[in-house]
Parts: sequence; structure tokens; C-alpha cells
Amino acid sequence: MSLVLVESEATNVIRLEGSIGIDSAAELKKLLILALESGKKVRVSLERAADLDVTAVQLLWAVWGQAKRSQVELALTEAAPEGISMALADAGFEKFLVSES
Amino acid sequence: MDQVDRFKQSFREEAREILVELESALLELNENRDDLELVGRVFRAMHTLKGSGAMFGFDRLAAFTHHLETAFDEVRNGRLLITSQLIDLALAALDQIKAMLEEDSGSVVADSSVCAEILARVRELTGATEKHKVEREQDEAPLAEAKGAVSEWRIRFAPGPELMQNGADPLLLLRELKQLGEMRITASMAAMPPLVELEPERCYVSWEMVLSTAGGQDAIRDVFIFVEDCCELTIEPVSSMMPCATTCTVEGTATPLEEQRAISGGRRTSDKADNASSLRVPAAKLDQYVDLVGELVTVQARVSEIAMRRDDVEITAVAEEIERLTSALRENSMTIRMTPIRGTFEKFRRLVHDLARDLGKDVELTIEGADTELDKTVIDRLSDPLMHLIRNSMDHGIEPADVRAACEKVATASIRLSARYAGGSVLIAVSDDGGGIDAEAVRRRAIEKGLVSADQQLTEKEIFGLILEPGFSTAKLVTDLSGRGVGMDVVRQSVEALRGTIDVASKPGQGTSVTLRLPLTLAIIDGLLVSVGDAYFVLPLTNTLECIELTREDIAKANGKHVVEMRGEILPYIRLRDYFNIHSERPEIEQIMVVETEEGRYGFVVDQVLGDHQTVIKNLGRLYRHVPFVSGATILGNGTVALILDPHRLVRDVLRAGTQVGRGSSVTGIGSRQPKDGWPAQAKISSAQEKMPALVNND
Repeated sequence: MSLVLVESEATNVIRLEGSIGIDSAAELKKLLILALESGKKVRVSLERAADLDVTAVQLLWAVWGQAKRSQVELALTEAAPEGISMALADAGFEKFLVSES
Repeated sequence: MDQVDRFKQSFREEAREILVELESALLELNENRDDLELVGRVFRAMHTLKGSGAMFGFDRLAAFTHHLETAFDEVRNGRLLITSQLIDLALAALDQIKAMLEEDSGSVVADSSVCAEILARVRELTGATEKHKVEREQDEAPLAEAKGAVSEWRIRFAPGPELMQNGADPLLLLRELKQLGEMRITASMAAMPPLVELEPERCYVSWEMVLSTAGGQDAIRDVFIFVEDCCELTIEPVSSMMPCATTCTVEGTATPLEEQRAISGGRRTSDKADNASSLRVPAAKLDQYVDLVGELVTVQARVSEIAMRRDDVEITAVAEEIERLTSALRENSMTIRMTPIRGTFEKFRRLVHDLARDLGKDVELTIEGADTELDKTVIDRLSDPLMHLIRNSMDHGIEPADVRAACEKVATASIRLSARYAGGSVLIAVSDDGGGIDAEAVRRRAIEKGLVSADQQLTEKEIFGLILEPGFSTAKLVTDLSGRGVGMDVVRQSVEALRGTIDVASKPGQGTSVTLRLPLTLAIIDGLLVSVGDAYFVLPLTNTLECIELTREDIAKANGKHVVEMRGEILPYIRLRDYFNIHSERPEIEQIMVVETEEGRYGFVVDQVLGDHQTVIKNLGRLYRHVPFVSGATILGNGTVALILDPHRLVRDVLRAGTQVGRGSSVTGIGSRQPKDGWPAQAKISSAQEKMPALVNND
């Protein structure tokens, strides 16, 4: 598992790789806040993510709400991989991902 | 260690406990094959292992255990009988599960071929019931259909704050729930705080589900069985008009479901109690805690010493308060380390079961006093000596079936493992009803070995004590003495390392009993500080009964014997001044500490009794570790060192010395006793107190 923040002039991309679970929750929160506070557009990439647990999903949900309130543009870089979409759908998060991506 | 590893480690620790419980339940079940409560215990343990194993990523273990659980489910439902074969299979499977548990560490690996063979044999056993099961299901199908067994349930699941921190993953639970039937699910983010306030490792999501399943409420509840204490869970039938699976009236299914509910309920109750009242702490942290308390006790003694010298009321008051708190802290730390000996005892059921099978003997193990508590360090080091003793009993003490029959003994031999408190010690005994020890044969062998002379008179107790001597056991002896010598010197060394003693009692044809007397703790004891000349000693307070004076007049009355009259009874005493060869002037009135020892009541004569003392036991250095009558040393508040005496061994040593100079002589011979080679030079203790710290091993 790894979390990467790629900063460019206009956009901050947070890339989630491998299995993102409770171990990386604190670090993910830190990165998301950092990305939001920069005021740039924020993109979240799930392309290389193999699995997300509840802690990751709720952080993404919270950052989406925060971005909306702060008027920062936030979106997924592209649709989540099928495995993740299915797992999230099984857990009742289907609409959440579709609507944000 | 990352969090996942910590969860896995936590599961391993719990699983080890479950395996001990499972092994014990299986062995009991072997003896009481109709006991449904025991079947329930076995099933419950397997169910927990499987469920928790899967949750923490021990997939192989979970899958393997699943097959065993299925077999015992068949037993619960009366479709499979308990046989020796099933018990042996389950025990063999347990060994493999133990190995699977440790596979991550790389030290142990479960044997795949053995696992496959076990599973094949389990399937063979349960396969015999398959046909019956299919027929039964066919019979019940129309009835189930008529009753409309598929029901719709509304489930609300809200994980508590600690659920994820305990290693559970709600998404895995939801996935498992989905396997029960068709499910519609909605996640609610209503409780989600703003990002900055969000605790990243806490679950804020809750779920509402509608599930159509034939599984019933118990099956749904089972999914959440391991997290029910840290979540809100409601399960309601969507329509009360629809038939409810859990209350279906099909006889034969209602009973197992009721039982399952009872099991789940029982487990929930127990989990709640555990969560509320206990906390798992690594043993190393506990050891460190006790070490620190030990250091604090030593420092507190220094503070008290300084306060006394300064004669300052305020400092004295503070010093007394520190002393009170330190004492309470010490008692508390000792209590924390106390553990019931049950776990150690229970594991010998398996040893007895396996050895009985291998030796073709019918042996029953009885356990008594398993709730007796001992310091964890003592318990950890007790396993090997007890194993030696039980092996000896099984292998050589218990006679073969034909010999027992010829002696008109009951066919089932008995081994009794017991523990009980005795003052500041715990007595642990291994007794059997085997052939006993031939005292005369032991004596002959001891003479052959040169351990005693041919004309030496020995009591029976002393003769049995000889089997504990190193090198006493030989192949020949094994035959002559029912093998009582095997490993006994090893047992003695282990027990003595724990500051314990061994007592052997035996009656030919009736059996043997080996009793270990062990201290409750190895860290800090309540002692009585005494002085002789410049030297300080500590006597354990638990053995000390009272203190009386010894005047010149009393000594004159005894006509040179080391005895004194105490309330009409004669009390033999040992003068520490003589024993340790301390050269200083004897006071007009000496003090006798009356101590209860294994050899009876004895007095220890000292110059002064300085009072009770919280004694932090320090091991003696390597050179002095094997001095028999000293169980350690302690550092006093003024920095000097006091030897902690072992009254039992000291008396025994004196008695033995008396025996050596001629049986029948009383303890009066010790006054002129000279130091033995290899003992600490007693003169140094009194004349060079400042050198004493060199005796102490601070490790």
C-alpha cells in the first residue's frame, strides 16, 4: 500500500495504491487536508488501488464534503477499478462513487 | 509491528487460549461421550477459531477448522456419534491448527499431507451421515416450503468507535451477510463529522439492510457474533405476518437453532464480562513494571533510612506516606502477576491421553485446585518438571494392565495433579496409584553409587530423597525402581531454581506422591529483617510465627543443648551466629524467631529483630547461586546487603549435618560446625559487609 501526493501548478493528485486500510488512514487524512489547503484542484486516483476499507471510504466522503464547502474542485481522475466499485457497491457505497466520479 | 501484525498477534494469543480450552473439552468428551454441554463447548471453540481466523486473515486455518466444525455440528444434531477415532482425529487436527497459527513466524509449518489425511478421514466420518442428511432434507423440503421458510429481515448495523481498532472490518461482515441471501443495502453517512474533526481510525458509517434469507435470525446474528459487543445491531422481521424462520415449528431444526442461539447468547455474555473486566498486556511489560516497583521499593527504603537519621518530622511524615503507597503498589503489582495454574494443568490431559494410548494403559487424570494462583514466572517454569513427573508416573509408576489385575487393583489407573496453598507457598503434587517405590532397592543402589555408606541409617524420607540426586537414574535402576530416577535430578534442579523443594512419599503397591513446594512469587516478599553482629538477614514473614527472648538463664537450663522451653514445649533452635561463624560479642538477651518449617517448628537465634521489610529479591551471583539455604539477597536502605534465608533448607541442612556426624545427635552439634567447601565464606559476611554487593546479581 502507498499514498502519493503529486503536486503540479494547478492540480494536486492523490494516488492510492494497493490495499488502503486502517494502517494508512491517518496518513491519508493528512494528505487530503494538505491537498485541500493548497487551494488547487484536487484529483484522487484509484487506478492502482486494489482495495479500500471503510476508513478510506469515509475519508474520501468527508473530503468531498469539505471540498464542496471550501469551493475546491475535487474529483476522481477516472472511474474506480471494477473490483473496488463492486466491493463498494456491496457495502452500499455505489451511488457515492458514481456521483463523484 | 504494524497494526495488522498487532491484530494477528492478538488473535494468536486468543487462539492459543481457545486451543487449550478445546483440547481440554475434547479429552473430557472422550470420557463423557453423552455430555451435550461438552459437545457445545467443542463446537463453540471451533466456531470461534474459524470465524476469528477468517477475520484476521488466517484463511487456511479457518478453512481447515470449518470441516471439523461441520463434524461436530453433526454430533450436536445427533447425526454423528462421538468415538475414539473422532476424538483422536480432532486432537491431531488441533496440532495442525497450532502449527498454522505460528506459520507466519516461520518456526512451525503445518504438514499439508497430514492435514489432507485428517480432512479425508473427517469426511469419511461425516460422509456416513450425508445420505441420512439428504433423505432428511428431502423429507423436510415440502414442509419448509409450506411454511415459507424464506423470510425478509431488516437489519441495522452501526459499528461502535472501537470496532475497527479491534481489527474487525465491517465490509467483510457485510460481504458475509450477503452470502445468506438477496440483500439491499444502504450506507448512512449521517454521523460523519467534518474532515478535520474526523478520527481516521474510527468508523462513522452505519448500514441499513433488507435481507431475504432462509437462514433465520440466528444465522444473521452469527455473522456479527465477534463484534456484537462493539456495535449497535437490530434485526427485525420486515413483516410480522410472514413466518419466522427462527420460530419455525419443524421439529429437529428448532432444537439446533435454539441451541445455537443459546451458544451465541452465552458467548456474548462472556465477551461482555471479559471486555469490561480484563485487558490483555504483554508479559514483558508486566515484568518491566514489577522490576520498576522493585527499584522503587529499594529507593523507598533509602528515603526511610535518611528520614530516620535526620529526625525531621516533616520528612518522616513524607517518608511514611511514600512507604505506605509503595507497599500498596507492591502488593498490587504482585497481584497482577498471579495467574491460575489451570492452563498448565489442563495441557497435561493431552499428555496423559497420548501416553496412555501409546503405552496401552488405561489412566485417568484428576485435576484438583486448578484455580490456585501463582506468580506467572513460576508457572512458566513449572511445565517441564511437571511433565517429567507425569511421564515417570505413566511410564514406570503405573503398572501394566495384567500386573494391576494380578494385584486386584482397579483396571483404570489414576494420576492426580493437585495444587493448594500452604502459608506463603503453593504445594503442587503429582500422585499415582501405581506400584510405588521400593525403598530397599533405592538404598542398595545408593550404596552401589557411593551416595551413602552401607552402615548409614536413613529414614524412608531420606531414602526417597536420594532419587533426586544427580546421576542416580540408570537403565538398571529403571527396572528395579519402576523408573523413578528418570529425570528426577532435572526436576530437582528446576524446582530449586524456583526456590522450591521436593518431597517424595511412596508406599509399595499403593503408589507414589511427589510434592513440590513453591514460593508464590519470585520478585518481592514480606520479610523480617534481623541482625547478627554486623550482618543482616531476612526471614520470610509468612513462615515466621513469633519472636521470643533467649536469656543466659534459658541457655544454662538447656545443659548445652540448643533448645528452649516455650509454653511447655521444647523448641529446638539454630543460632545464626554459629551457623554463619560470625565472630562478634553475643548480647545478654538474644532473640529467637520461631519459624514453621517443613521439618517442624524451629527457632532462629539472632541479636536483634529490626522489623518487617519489603524485600526485593535479587539473585545471587553465579558463584553463590547454588548455596542451598540462601534464596537470594536484598539491598537495604543504607546500601548494605542482607541475605534472604530459606528456613526449610537451612533446617534440613543442619539436620543432614547432624546425621553425618552420627545419627541420634540433636541439633546441638551445629554450634561448632565448620564452613563447608564451596559455601560462601561466612566470616566475610560479618567482617566485610562492604563487599557484599559483589554477591548480588542485579540482572
